[in-house]
Amino acid sequence: MAAEANNAKPTFLSPPQEGEKPIVSLRGITKRFPGVIALDHIDLDIYPGTVHALLGENGAGKSTLVKVLYGIYTPDEGEIIINGRPTRLTSPADAINTGIVMVSQSPQIIDTLTVAENIILGLEKYNHLVPVTKVYKIIREESKRVGIKIEPSIEVWRLSYTQKQLVEILRAILLGAKVLLLDEAITYLPIEEKQRFYKFIRQFADEGGTVVLITHKIYEAMDVADKITVLRRGKVAGHLDRKEATIEKIRALMFGERSAEITYERLPTAQPEPKTVLEVKDLWVMGDFGGYAVQGVSLEVKKGEVLGIAGVAGNGQKELIQAIMRLRPIIKGRIIYNGEDITRKTTYYLRINGVGYIPDLPAKYGVSIENSIIENIAVLPVYSRGIINWDKVKELALKLIKEYEIKTPSPDTPVKFLSGGNIMKVLVARELTVATNLLVAYNPTRALDEATAIKVRKVIKEKVLKNKVSAIIASEDLDEIFQISDRIAVMNSGKIVGVFPADKAKREEIEHLMVM
Amino acid sequence: MVIIRRVKPLPYWIIPIIALLAGIAISVIILYVLMGASPAAVLSAIVYGFTRPGVVAKTFVALTIVGIALLVSFKGSIWNIGGEGQITFGLMAATWVALFTALPYINPGLAQASMILLAMVAGGVWALLAALPRAYLGLDEVPVTLIMNYIAYYIVDILVRGPWLGKHVYNYIRTDTIPSQVMFPQVPGTTMTWDGLLLLIILLIGVWYLLKNTSIGLRIKILGNNPNLLRSSGISVPLMIIVALTISGIIAGSVGALYLGGDVYRISYPIEVHTANYGYTGILVAWLSMLELIAVPIAAYIVSALYTAGIQYQILVGGHLGQLITAGSAIVDVFIGSILLMYTILITISEYKIRIIVKKR
Ligand SMILES: Nc1ncnc2c1ncn2[C@@H]1O[C@H](COP(=O)(O)OP(=O)(O)OP(=O)(O)O)[C@@H](O)[C@H]1O
Ligand SMILES: [Mg+2]
Repeated sequence: MAAEANNAKPTFLSPPQEGEKPIVSLRGITKRFPGVIALDHIDLDIYPGTVHALLGENGAGKSTLVKVLYGIYTPDEGEIIINGRPTRLTSPADAINTGIVMVSQSPQIIDTLTVAENIILGLEKYNHLVPVTKVYKIIREESKRVGIKIEPSIEVWRLSYTQKQLVEILRAILLGAKVLLLDEAITYLPIEEKQRFYKFIRQFADEGGTVVLITHKIYEAMDVADKITVLRRGKVAGHLDRKEATIEKIRALMFGERSAEITYERLPTAQPEPKTVLEVKDLWVMGDFGGYAVQGVSLEVKKGEVLGIAGVAGNGQKELIQAIMRLRPIIKGRIIYNGEDITRKTTYYLRINGVGYIPDLPAKYGVSIENSIIENIAVLPVYSRGIINWDKVKELALKLIKEYEIKTPSPDTPVKFLSGGNIMKVLVARELTVATNLLVAYNPTRALDEATAIKVRKVIKEKVLKNKVSAIIASEDLDEIFQISDRIAVMNSGKIVGVFPADKAKREEIEHLMVM
Repeated sequence: MVIIRRVKPLPYWIIPIIALLAGIAISVIILYVLMGASPAAVLSAIVYGFTRPGVVAKTFVALTIVGIALLVSFKGSIWNIGGEGQITFGLMAATWVALFTALPYINPGLAQASMILLAMVAGGVWALLAALPRAYLGLDEVPVTLIMNYIAYYIVDILVRGPWLGKHVYNYIRTDTIPSQVMFPQVPGTTMTWDGLLLLIILLIGVWYLLKNTSIGLRIKILGNNPNLLRSSGISVPLMIIVALTISGIIAGSVGALYLGGDVYRISYPIEVHTANYGYTGILVAWLSMLELIAVPIAAYIVSALYTAGIQYQILVGGHLGQLITAGSAIVDVFIGSILLMYTILITISEYKIRIIVKKR
């Protein structure tokens, strides 16, 4: 991916001209929440025709900043200047009327409507009337231009996460966005879509559009962005031009000393014991919309090893993981955990027998955002049978908050007040604690900043090496797969198409098998 | 003028208070326009209602208990509209103990306890029957529990007209009066009974403890917020639905025993006319409490005061408005309907605010 974007650079390059006026300027923007200053006197200029990356560790204030620009939050202090005019944005409608549109990590479109209806709804709401008959045509044309394929008449609930995100982005463009705010909107798209999308972003900027891009993938930001602003603890840590930006500089600004811990080197290879902890035999599992998502998968995880499952999103990894956790019916095949056939057993059985589980889409499946951090820990059967010992749970919560540097005013804070990455940290910290025997995970470092992601991988590996815990980790991030796995299985179209010892596996070969 | 989404929502306790005041104001207007009721008389009835705790007590106890019952299921986003049916079943069970067992003559204390306990069991069973299709077939509990209220009425009606028809009732269709041994003793100077007061205190503390310190309580709350988390934690969602709705029914059922032993002492046919409708009024109490347990008694007091006000109004002006002698309960309905309506409207609009922007030229 990096190589391709680099090759493309010369044609795309369009640095802002000297003396050009910013399309959006922030002056002294401050936003406080109970117990935290999310934004502390932020000054920022965003120029038309540029891709401006906004980087920072979890809880740095990135989402808050774009929410201020999108009218979701009104700043406590400071001024937003749009096209040279001080402007008050008190709602997304205000923002959209000035040409600012946000796409966030979680799709906001309505499930029961079709793609076209969703888009029409958006347009009508903001008085951009388009005849219904034209909408299908526009959608088809525009989606081609963006480099994606979406059938306008399909109902949204049938779409995958990727497709939903693309509809969101399409909607933003059709709304006439001049400034596109992307808050980790494309971080989780499959590589191919992502590359196409980055190309589109470049093109959009070259045609005079403006993009504010939030991502935790620093290399991607360096590839695509003209300017980079790093936030740290609510303050601007630095503005960088593409020319002066190096990965070391950016990391130092983002993490301070913590940046020294960042490494993508393979973690030590485990010496597994002969005992098999998890065995999957000829497993067949249905997908959400009929058809087999998992087609005769067999695999094995030994005591004290990490089996990484590489694959492009949507090739059955989610269904496989859910079937192992007994959250999805098994049509055929067997699963054996610790010598016990669990094909007919429940999730509960696994959960009280040392299995930790990190699901995809943490806010949807892994935590209850209306509940507090301690309640989100106490819910697990290992922590609450009958009467809850709140003192003990609180003690554990405080320990995890400290260990994983979870940014929260208190353990009693509802999870919804945490930043995206910190919500994920609550989940990961909890599950790594209960995984005394086996960890089952899908994208375990999703939404985490680089330093934290690497730390989580280290914690997992340490448990594997020291405590002989086993792990099966599906991830769309090959860096992650290579860093943490002892063996790598590649999943494609519901099948395991190859298993490799990680120290001998070749990246090109795995990539090839993934998209074959 | 523009309507925009509020960035900071209003403090949540403001809404029930505004709903209450606005609801009362609207009721006064409706009663004046439609019935020619003098606002002064209505307001004085309301003042009466609010200043007579002794009179209000009986209704207060019943509504608090129903409010607690519904709160438990509402916390789990399980909308138990079946309080009426569960109370009616409780009433039936208590009547059976009082009239058709020898217990009242052997041990009145035990008999009273049995009436309450059996009423709870009956209410729980009735709720369980609604919970099963909800849990395992995904059938919406709102219509199911609602329909089951009527089924409960008819079962009791059939009993009262048939096997349970009293021997000393002249031409009335009703059961015999329960033995005086099992009429719950009254707290002096009030309309409530010792049994009711005791039960209220036990339930308040019990449910507080349940929600605060037990895994069941926590899971009910998480069921209401994100059942997916229960699933991935290995906790059965159908089971939690059953637990939430059944606990709700158990608590509601007890009110049937209180109604029998401390209020009507017999069941009159048809029950749907003679019911106090606590099951429905309790929904208002639960909503006004914003699902906060400590606010349930407060909401119950307000609603029972209005309930009493309606009846008081009937007594005050009944003489003048001959034909409107039955207006008491209609007035209660107007109060409750107006408040619930205002509450719903306010909840919806509280997330928005209205701003008037003058465009400068
Ligand atoms: N609605 C809110 N109420 C209270 N605190 C909040 C709220 N939104 C954000 N915060 C706090 O503000 C800080 C910044 O959060 P923000 O979501 O902007 O971080 P972020 O940079 O987007 O992080 P991440 O990479 O984890 O998404 C965090 O400490 C967070 O807990
Ligand atoms: Mg964020």
